[in-house]
Amino acid sequence: MRFDSVIIGGGLAGLTAGISLQEEGRSTAIVSTGQNALHFFSGCFESLQEPPQRMQDLFAGAGVRLHYREGVRLMPLGTFRPAALALADIDLVPVPHFADKVLIVGFAGFQDFFPAFLADGLAREGMQCRTVQLELPELERLRLSPSEMRSVQIARTLDRIWGKVIREVKHLLREEDAVVLPQVFGLQDPSVPEYIRQGLPVRVVFTGTLPPSVPGIRTQLLLKRRYEALGGTYLAGDEVVTAHIHGDVVHGIATRNLDSHCLEAGHFLLASGSYFSKGLKSTPFDIAEPVFGLDVVHADDRNAWYDTDFFADQPYMQFGVKTDTALHPLRDGQPLTNLYAIGSVLGATRPEFGFGAGLAVRSAFAAVDQILESL
Amino acid sequence: MNTKEFDVIIIGGGITGAGTQRDCAMRGLRTLLIERSDIATGATGRNHGLLHSGARYAVNDPESAAECIRENKILRQIAAQCIEPTDGLFITLPEDDPDYQKVFVEACRRAGIDAEVIDPALARRLEPSVNPALTGAVRVPDGSVDPFRLCAANMLDAKLHGGQVRLQTEVTGFIREGDTVRGVHTRNIRTGQEEDFYAPVTVNACGIWGQHIARLAGVEIGMFPSKGALLIFAHRINNMVINRCRKPSNADILVPGDTVCVIGTTSTRIPFEECDRVAVTPGEVDLLITEGAKLSPALFSTRILRAYAGVRPLVSADDDPSGRNISRGIVCLDHESRDGLRGFITITGGKLMTYRLMAEMATDTVCHKLGVDKSCSTAVTPLPGLEEPASEKGALICECENVTAGKVAHAIDHLEVSTLTDLRRRTRVGMGTCQGGLCACRAADRLAQANACAERERNDLADFMQERWKGNFPIGWGDMLREAEYTQWVYKHVLGL
Repeated sequence: MRFDSVIIGGGLAGLTAGISLQEEGRSTAIVSTGQNALHFFSGCFESLQEPPQRMQDLFAGAGVRLHYREGVRLMPLGTFRPAALALADIDLVPVPHFADKVLIVGFAGFQDFFPAFLADGLAREGMQCRTVQLELPELERLRLSPSEMRSVQIARTLDRIWGKVIREVKHLLREEDAVVLPQVFGLQDPSVPEYIRQGLPVRVVFTGTLPPSVPGIRTQLLLKRRYEALGGTYLAGDEVVTAHIHGDVVHGIATRNLDSHCLEAGHFLLASGSYFSKGLKSTPFDIAEPVFGLDVVHADDRNAWYDTDFFADQPYMQFGVKTDTALHPLRDGQPLTNLYAIGSVLGATRPEFGFGAGLAVRSAFAAVDQILESL
Repeated sequence: MNTKEFDVIIIGGGITGAGTQRDCAMRGLRTLLIERSDIATGATGRNHGLLHSGARYAVNDPESAAECIRENKILRQIAAQCIEPTDGLFITLPEDDPDYQKVFVEACRRAGIDAEVIDPALARRLEPSVNPALTGAVRVPDGSVDPFRLCAANMLDAKLHGGQVRLQTEVTGFIREGDTVRGVHTRNIRTGQEEDFYAPVTVNACGIWGQHIARLAGVEIGMFPSKGALLIFAHRINNMVINRCRKPSNADILVPGDTVCVIGTTSTRIPFEECDRVAVTPGEVDLLITEGAKLSPALFSTRILRAYAGVRPLVSADDDPSGRNISRGIVCLDHESRDGLRGFITITGGKLMTYRLMAEMATDTVCHKLGVDKSCSTAVTPLPGLEEPASEKGALICECENVTAGKVAHAIDHLEVSTLTDLRRRTRVGMGTCQGGLCACRAADRLAQANACAERERNDLADFMQERWKGNFPIGWGDMLREAEYTQWVYKHVLGL
């Protein structure tokens, strides 16, 4: 099978590249193991201080609405963090004091949302809080099973009965001028958070839960849907087993599911992520890139991989594949000229692209531009 | 009841203190136990959890070996709920001295330990994970013991006999009248509240920290802190304890426990100031894995869950200030005959599994001082079973360790929990493969609600994650690093702690 470009990794970087190339009429395939960082996406695009129009357009095409406003957002443990670019259902407020009286609404039995911490954080900003737990009979089936009361399962149910949630919350409101709800709305239908906002007479602030992230998974679904609608080939649940390299050129890759069929292409993009997604693999003695055996910038001494402070910037998170200025990764010191490394497989080796979501999007655009120019 | 006068005050909430309180209480004394932190926080909770048969000491320290096998048999009777009678193997590998086995077996028999030489092929059948290269094997009555349950059961029984316990309470000084200790000054770590308690006898059962307590009382004990590092593996590889049949050395005991197994240990002298912040080095980790894999090669390919270290409370003999003749045996010091200080006893040295004997020795000394003539019955009186709370229907707080919301609520309501670490010791929250990644903040929200103090709980959560990381980064590669990356990203960028 031959494509113009083959992308390894189906997360934010891989999908951004895939959609951009398909929009320009290139044929592409994405090989995805299934797990990626969108599953624990906070909904805010880290290290993107201004909204690139190109990104807004790409997301809008996929039905993912973004909004941009410099301000702060309420974090799940009740703290406030500066933020600028976010999914439309993530609230960005100019100052932490976004209301006088706040009703925090949880769902009985749902442990992954933290009303006690939220109430404390809001009270500290001078807001009066009241916490209630909604008991919806529709969630009873999930409640009976100890491990199913999780964000995605709840969202699947609430997507059907969001009207009832509006009625119940309205009923509970007294003098509050804002409601805080967990991000468990709009898994399939991205409009549900907006319906809830429209349906309630007060400000609604959707606040994060423990992963999996409903807004993140929704974003992944929409981007993937858009990619496939543009004719992209998304190979889910597959992984690369070998790469065929001649000199400084990658000719093809073989995957587990495609067996002997080789995926050939003029360009390859490595968007395989960092450790969590197995784009980087560590042993007690080394940190390696498993698909192409690329050079990885890292400390040799394992003592230097970690900061003993859990909350400090960790050195191991800085490590990533070594690239030249054109994002071609090096292998034994030599660049592979038709391969591009994008997203968090770069670690912090290319600080000009930012980190997290910002790194994924910027480096994907940078690689795509070169591919488009080269033909 | 808020009395301030007791017959005996015991300082230290490890297994020795808990056992001593139980023994004293069973002999009819009014007891108070004071612990600066939580139960089983020192060496009690930081060891192999090995129920020694005594075989390890048979050749070099026959007295300890005999103590071990006696206590081994007693604990099987009185603490069956805390013990798993797995039996153990002492294996000889090609590089080991082949003649040692004979010396070892004879020494075991002299100490009264059943030591049965078995065919290597039988050993491989009994314990499929054992290094198949073994050339000899001896079967002994080793086992595993849950130190936390054992400690909690002793403390519970002491309470049932009228004993009182003050956790999170620090002894800040002694109330002395001339050459007699009359009681202690204390301060609650959380509230800062200061309180005095009085008793004619005070027992120092603080393990390695006993040196500090003794100094507060005005007497000196020469302790030699010895760090032992261990690794917990995420799977139970072995069903029997596996030891090396050679002179005791580093990383030569692999102990199964619940769903995990533990390899250890090392032995490093550390400065006294480091006792409160011992950490495992990558070098120690490498040594533990390399040596451990000689017992069971599967260790090489098994995920490590955590690295941790404890400090052995070794005491030098009084006439040996250099520490050359350090004993691993029990040390019971009556400071009246030793230092002329009345009403003060130190019980230290020993091992987890000889705690009952240590408690008996300390209590005998206490009773002698008080003129109480009642003999010890702890060797024949079973410990109470620890009630398991009915698991409430409802969500799991900790998926790795199967801890329900009901169990957490029970612990918060009834088991004196003030921090996540206390909760972990009582419920196993945060001890599984995710090392608190998901369950810690769920449990923290529960604690914040129960204590109506979210600010303190937020700090507690940060401390808990820091404490988990301390045991994770020394083994930070492979799946552990994947998990750590996920957790650190989520706490920082998603949860905003």
